[in-house]
Amino acid sequence: MSEFKPILTEFIDQKNCHTFDFYESKGGYSALKKALSMSPEDVIEEVKASNLRGRGGAGFPTGLKWSFVPPDSDKPKYLINNADESEPGTFKDRLLMNKAPHQMLEGMIIAAYSIGCHTSFIYIRGEFYKECRILEEMIGDAYEHNLLGKNILDSGFNLDIVIHRGAGAYICGEETALLESLEGKRGWPRIKPPFPAIEGYLKSPTVVNNVETLSCLPHILNRGAEWFRSIGPKKGPGPRLFGVSGTVNNPGVFEEEMGIPLKDLIFDRAGGISNGGKLKAVFPGGSSSAILTAEEAMDVRMDFDELSEKKSMLGSAGVIVMDETVNMVQACLNIARFYAHESCGQCTPCREGTTWLVKMLTRMVHGKGTSKDIDMLFEITDNIGGLIDFSKGSYGKTICPFGEAVAWPVRSFVEKFKDEFLQCIMKEEVVA
Amino acid sequence: MYNEGRSSRLMPLLKIDNQEIEVKSGTTVLQAALKQGIEIPYYCYHPALEVVGSCRMCLVKVEGMPKLQVSCNTYIGEAPEERKIDGKFDMVVDTKDKIVVQEQKNILEFLLLNHPLDCSVCDQAGECYLQDYSFKYGNAHSRFDEDKRVRANVYLGSQVLINHNRCILCSLCVRFTREISGTNELFVEQRGYNSKIATVEDNPLDNYLAGNVTDICPVGALLSTDYIHKNRIWNLNKQPSVCQDCSVGCNVDVFYQKDKIFRLSPRENHDVNGYFMCDIGRYGFHRYEEIDRITSPMLKSNGIFSEITWAEAMTKIVDEIGLNDGNIAGIASPFHTNETNFLLGNLIGNVIGILPEIVDEELQYPSGFRISGDRSPNKQGMTDVCPQIMEAFADKFDKKNIKLLYVLDDGIDRKLDKKWSNIFSEMNLIIVQTYAMTEIAKSGDLLLPGLAPFEREGTITNDRKRVQWLRPSLSSQGESRPDWEILTTILNELSEESPLFTDLSQVIKAMGESFPKYKDLSFFKIGMNGLSLNGAAKD
Amino acid sequence: MESKGKLFQYTDNKKVENILSQYPDNRSATLPLLHLAQAQLGYISTGAINAVAKLTETHPAELMDCVSFYSMFYLCPQGKYKLQVCQTLSCSLNGADNIVEHISKKYKIKPGETSTDGKFTLMKVECLGSCGTAPVVQINNDYHEGLTIPELDELLENVQ
Repeated sequence: MSEFKPILTEFIDQKNCHTFDFYESKGGYSALKKALSMSPEDVIEEVKASNLRGRGGAGFPTGLKWSFVPPDSDKPKYLINNADESEPGTFKDRLLMNKAPHQMLEGMIIAAYSIGCHTSFIYIRGEFYKECRILEEMIGDAYEHNLLGKNILDSGFNLDIVIHRGAGAYICGEETALLESLEGKRGWPRIKPPFPAIEGYLKSPTVVNNVETLSCLPHILNRGAEWFRSIGPKKGPGPRLFGVSGTVNNPGVFEEEMGIPLKDLIFDRAGGISNGGKLKAVFPGGSSSAILTAEEAMDVRMDFDELSEKKSMLGSAGVIVMDETVNMVQACLNIARFYAHESCGQCTPCREGTTWLVKMLTRMVHGKGTSKDIDMLFEITDNIGGLIDFSKGSYGKTICPFGEAVAWPVRSFVEKFKDEFLQCIMKEEVVA
Repeated sequence: MYNEGRSSRLMPLLKIDNQEIEVKSGTTVLQAALKQGIEIPYYCYHPALEVVGSCRMCLVKVEGMPKLQVSCNTYIGEAPEERKIDGKFDMVVDTKDKIVVQEQKNILEFLLLNHPLDCSVCDQAGECYLQDYSFKYGNAHSRFDEDKRVRANVYLGSQVLINHNRCILCSLCVRFTREISGTNELFVEQRGYNSKIATVEDNPLDNYLAGNVTDICPVGALLSTDYIHKNRIWNLNKQPSVCQDCSVGCNVDVFYQKDKIFRLSPRENHDVNGYFMCDIGRYGFHRYEEIDRITSPMLKSNGIFSEITWAEAMTKIVDEIGLNDGNIAGIASPFHTNETNFLLGNLIGNVIGILPEIVDEELQYPSGFRISGDRSPNKQGMTDVCPQIMEAFADKFDKKNIKLLYVLDDGIDRKLDKKWSNIFSEMNLIIVQTYAMTEIAKSGDLLLPGLAPFEREGTITNDRKRVQWLRPSLSSQGESRPDWEILTTILNELSEESPLFTDLSQVIKAMGESFPKYKDLSFFKIGMNGLSLNGAAKD
Repeated sequence: MESKGKLFQYTDNKKVENILSQYPDNRSATLPLLHLAQAQLGYISTGAINAVAKLTETHPAELMDCVSFYSMFYLCPQGKYKLQVCQTLSCSLNGADNIVEHISKKYKIKPGETSTDGKFTLMKVECLGSCGTAPVVQINNDYHEGLTIPELDELLENVQ
């Protein structure tokens, strides 16, 4: 197959690729210069025209999100870089922060400029201590070279960037929970309305973008929206970082065109199943997506719409591969336990339902399942995260998408590997 | 509010179930439904607190939205012409759709997962939203086969106990301490399944509004240590009345059974106390359980009180007043009703004063709730209907010429200071109308048994000039008579021209004839929320 | 939590001022101030809570609400080295459970416990965001990726 020339990760194998000098030598910050010579509205239009969709998991069109910020509001505007990468199977933002921090910073400054923001935050997960130190240093360099601070490159535009470390909560990757955490409170997501673009951080208009999304911006500005749109499927184009992990020979981050066939990622890029094994199931988009069986995985492409049609999602493009040695009930329990641990506890279905799932699955893993457990698993997941019927739309039972994030994978395990779950049922049941 | 981009037509048209109603722009679906009498179950919503939408119980189906919406956070505003449903409705809501009904069952199932089957020993039984909604909207049985989460009870403060197992984490109590009392004692500890309500070690829930959290808790998690395990709501009678512990006059409901009061709860009145009351008033009724009650007229002879009949008492009073040429001084009381003070004024004439006032801390809370520094309920009313009250009475009182004193006892046990002791010692006869053997009563000569605060009926006027109706919960004891009745009897004994009022309404009518502000008052006019004497002015 | 009365003072006040100056309101500085206190003390003491509450103009209960939510804040002292083993799917599929069992056996500690010499605390944590190099163990601030048991042994035996 044809080799895709990396765009975001073009230089990650080179020495000192993270430094300012290196980035500048490769033409870095030229996109920013171009953006500053345009009007903010034109920058937004360009990004809209590129069809760039968010790379954090939700896949919301970036330009459209920016346009929700009321331009004539007299409140300060905030841009927040969501670097709280905590979705299991996802490890791409870490790579970008380690190896191409200036690309991300340039993207941040462009985004901030287009929405009229003068103080921007990087919300980075607390565990990424090393990445945080690197960013501190790189931001210092940017200030030194007049790319941050007052009157950036003589444009009259001011911007400060503040790094804000999280403290170990997956839910703080959710937009409104992130805002709460940034404001110094517990990470309980907010109900909408009001929407963050109108009332976000400290009740002011706020935009939250993912690290990878921001990293795409310099390239869109430099090479044009049309160029970006031409990479992969039109409705969700661009280069994409796919993380492949699990039972594969060569796990890692692979930059490819959007729309690459999933089987290519698994069998070509990631070197196939470890120990010569066979593929059994795979998460296409982080653990919040529904799993695909080996059969389904073989003919699907990594595209927002195609995966949606297959009743899964592209999400954060974190591919977790499971081979035939993996017990599906245990894998299901592992994921359910993750969600139970990370549930914020604010709303009823998620708080009670996630632990109910864990208790039930734990019992089943130890062979003590009962015959009604299978139906119960379907019901509980429906009750937390809504019916998985995309034509009717899910039924929104929780405040934030966490409900769907636990329901979809757990349900897909039971649905697609029912036999394994049936084997967990006790041979002799006590009849009441 | 959140009607971004929508025009501000004042009264959008809502179709909810099969009713079509016009609502004020910015109203939520839940508020509109409640006002209309359509029941939508909910836990975490309270009109005085910030909306959080966390219990998920109030989900409804809104036409045009693919997901169910929480009605507490769905705002109704005008829809653009092309999005109006059936050409006229700005929003169409279905609260009985089968998906909604199923959701209600599901949420209740989740809430009951770890909830103990405590109804038979839980204080909340009979007034519990979990019971009510389970009965109306829930499943008949639980499908939870795992181990329940069990935690020990904890005292959050001296008056509030939390049963963690019953808590549904609606966070109403936490929001109360942040937004209403502003004292911030409560917080949610940990996250997810392990979340629980807690306080920090050296800051327990001990502010004057703490008792309110036991009211707003929709289940039996937050319990009043004062009321715990004492009775059942279905045994109790409820009497709407007014608190008598300060001049704010919070509206209350008194819960009693036979001749015992079990608890007080606030009654909603947006011109006085909003939704809440303070702990001073809430637990104040206990004061009257331990007093040395007087239930018969008593006459002191050689320093010892002995019981006499009403006839004997009346005779004594009439004789003494005659002996003194009608020179009698009086002490009015801001703890007594308007009617009682009015009649005292008629009896005494001009030489009237009051005892030193009972004052304490004035407290203001961020929500606007107030505890007055004046800890008597009716200073305003007393001043209105007994305008002849002299200031600095103790200084001006001519104890050389007046030897007869009639005291309306506050009922507060207090020691007299030197000035007052001197006055009392100069009197030939001191008549004390009281319900308890207070220090004042002890220094009197003739005691007339009136009613205790929870036995009285009448009007009182709060410090914002709102006249409210005091209603009795307990019956009178022994020979005690209503305070106004005692005075009208004395007045009638002294002169046949003075009417013998046999009904409170007659006294109120007479009071209104003397004082135009109180003209034409009646129970129906005053109603459950009182009547402002400022005309249309709100408090 | 430790006994009350023990006051907490930041050793680097300049850092504190710097943190506060970066945010439009003081309450937003809560998380960085807590991280700073924990870096100094090893955990968040009652004194630290009171100190941060004062700086952020909040009530200690509101601060506890925040602190008890996050898994990286500890309310009691931990071992010198916190061995945080990721147990989420990719790491679990690549031997994380064996690592936990190994540490448990070797140092006689169950997850959540600290060794008697106060050196190691074993913690099972959720996805550390480095699934490509599973299994991952975070020791205090540092990631150790793709460790085998022998490599882990060597690492732990050589820490001070």
